[in-house]
Amino acid sequence: MENILDVQDIHTFIAQYHILQGVNVRVPKGSITALLGRNGAGKTTTLKSIIGLLTPRQGRVVFDGQEVQGMRPYDIAAMGIGFVPEHRAIFRDLTVEENLKLAERTKGDYLRKKEFIFDLFPDLKRLIALPGTSLSGGQQQMLAIARALVAENKLLLIDEPSEGLAPVLIEHMMKAIRELSKDSTVILVEQNFLVASQLAQYYVIIEEGRSVQQGSMKDLVNDKPAIHRYLGAA
Amino acid sequence: MNSFLRKNLVLIGTLVVIAALFAAAAQGMDKQDFVITLLRGLAVGSITFLVASGFSLIFGLLDVLNLAHGTLFMIGAYIGWTVFVRPDTFVDILTPLALILSGFALADVYPALTTRTRLGSSMKRILPWMLIVVSLLLFGYILPKYPIAIWDVGTYAQSPVTFAFMTSQGTRLPVAPIAFSEISSALAWVGLLLASVLAALGLSLFGNDVGQTRSVNWKNFIVFAVLLLIAISGSIFNDPFTNFLLGLSSNWLFVFSVLIAVLSGAGLGALMESALIRPLYSRPIYQLMLTLGLSAIGIEMVRAIWGRPEFVMPKPVFFNGTGDGCPATSFADWWTHNCSTILLWDGRVRVYNEIFIPLVGLFVLISIWLLLQRTRLGMVIRAGVQDREMVEALGINVRRVFTMVFALGVGLAALGGVLAAPSSGLSNVMGESLFLNALIALAIGGLTNYPGAALGSVLVGLIQQFIIKYGQIGIAIPFTDMVFKPSPPLVPASTVLLMVIILLILPNGLLGKKE
Repeated sequence: MENILDVQDIHTFIAQYHILQGVNVRVPKGSITALLGRNGAGKTTTLKSIIGLLTPRQGRVVFDGQEVQGMRPYDIAAMGIGFVPEHRAIFRDLTVEENLKLAERTKGDYLRKKEFIFDLFPDLKRLIALPGTSLSGGQQQMLAIARALVAENKLLLIDEPSEGLAPVLIEHMMKAIRELSKDSTVILVEQNFLVASQLAQYYVIIEEGRSVQQGSMKDLVNDKPAIHRYLGAA
Repeated sequence: MNSFLRKNLVLIGTLVVIAALFAAAAQGMDKQDFVITLLRGLAVGSITFLVASGFSLIFGLLDVLNLAHGTLFMIGAYIGWTVFVRPDTFVDILTPLALILSGFALADVYPALTTRTRLGSSMKRILPWMLIVVSLLLFGYILPKYPIAIWDVGTYAQSPVTFAFMTSQGTRLPVAPIAFSEISSALAWVGLLLASVLAALGLSLFGNDVGQTRSVNWKNFIVFAVLLLIAISGSIFNDPFTNFLLGLSSNWLFVFSVLIAVLSGAGLGALMESALIRPLYSRPIYQLMLTLGLSAIGIEMVRAIWGRPEFVMPKPVFFNGTGDGCPATSFADWWTHNCSTILLWDGRVRVYNEIFIPLVGLFVLISIWLLLQRTRLGMVIRAGVQDREMVEALGINVRRVFTMVFALGVGLAALGGVLAAPSSGLSNVMGESLFLNALIALAIGGLTNYPGAALGSVLVGLIQQFIIKYGQIGIAIPFTDMVFKPSPPLVPASTVLLMVIILLILPNGLLGKKE
């Protein structure tokens, strides 16, 4: 299958710290791929290196057939990558609607996608005029994902969508991610292995800044030793 | 409503205390004194606000503390004065300025050209310097010989002071026309254009952007073409344009001066951000040193060009009527006579200083607020103040917004400068004290809060003017016969004191949000 994203042996530094020491990620088009690994393994750093918020010193990031490493984040994002960061990063001073409108890349994106987004997250519709500050954690997470859906994105990077959510909300979130993955490829960073294993078709395990194992999620679910070794008891 | 009260209890309390202080201040003076002092405070507050709001927009979004902001305020005033008093100089400068800038307008084109040529590594290091030296030599050869009608700081009869005085009397000193004599005009123009292209090309070679693939299209050449058009028409229509400006009524000329001052301020800001600040975003301390240095350079340049003595920009006739029917007794009366003063509550109020400036301040306050709340640019700015990275990750070209906001901020400072020029005059130090006021106002109101900037500025202006007024009339101390007259040094001290008290109660300022 064709890969929409091919991360080849990237090394990324934060200040003088060598965080990523050779990460390879191949993401087949139309799939959900989960980045797995313990806290501090470098999953979020990998996402940031893809979108350009951190610049890899070595290696290549090929998105949609074009090398993007070293480009500015807004140029990379404009090629069709949506980013849902850890802790959501909702703009507090903007209303829900403004948060969504800000994500427009061409005029009218928001109006075109409005219906799709509100079908996915009906809650957002009634919160539309409220400022970002007044949303609950779950609502913020929905808004953060919705924001990545406004523009035509071929790839969505979603960092820890289930973090801090009540189980019933996690269910809802999973349904939404499954729904939106029909239109675009998704890379998911997820601590909760249960969630990841139910959503993703592929996985990459990152351990101490290196990608150590990747393949089909079906195989990993049966590979108890690997789960235990890399992810702790799951 | 109840929760709103509880959340903002300290803020409301502080505002009540301040209001009570002003009410108490009103008790000790006549009604007319109070009105005039209030208006003066608002006027000082408005000018402070123009500087403070620009500074705070820049700091909020870019995290740049622009220490040159006060100097840029001053430069705005001097540019406005030049256009108003010496339109001929302004027209003369148009052509060379447009030529000098034209090379830089092509900045996006050079990388596309240079990436196709292969150079040795030593050549790569030397070439930019060579280009810049050659261009500097060209500039140094041509610019001193370029004929620009200008005043003479050294001789009193030809100094800006004299020109300002004569213009305020309604006559203009005759200016001898200057023409090309030492070098031919064609040589000068081609030379400037070449020098500008070489300098911009050299600068573009310094940056080694990895993996930057820019495509060149016709849009890159639009600004270049416009600048060339300005240069050509500036030299062909030099005399007609000068005569046109001189023939304008002083009202329109004033509007034109304000416009040019604001535009040059914005242009200067954009240039400063894109050329000097941008390479230093990862080194905040260097940025600080840079803006501090630019501030000193700016002041010295103003001293070299306009001289050290203070002078005043004449007021347009719209605000300068005297004689029959003056001072005006009502606004309708003022409208027919355009008196320089108007009687309000038995006090003589200067229309330009104490009514026009606060109105402009209010107008700017509302326009910028609308810009922030109602436009996409404003949305990007508000979002970027909170989380720049996320805005970038949404695919928004934040750098372009940075340049725009820097231009806007400096443009506002320049507007403040040119508005203050007719009321408080031009001097080499006008920027420094005002900049200090603006910083105090921002600390009081909340550093990156736009309404806070306005509130803080007005408070600073009011406090200062009331202290000055009480310095004249004195405060009667209760139960004694003594009268306390605050001395002039207490004026700046009082605002700092207010700042200290407010920061002790509300560490983020009156309207600032907790980080």
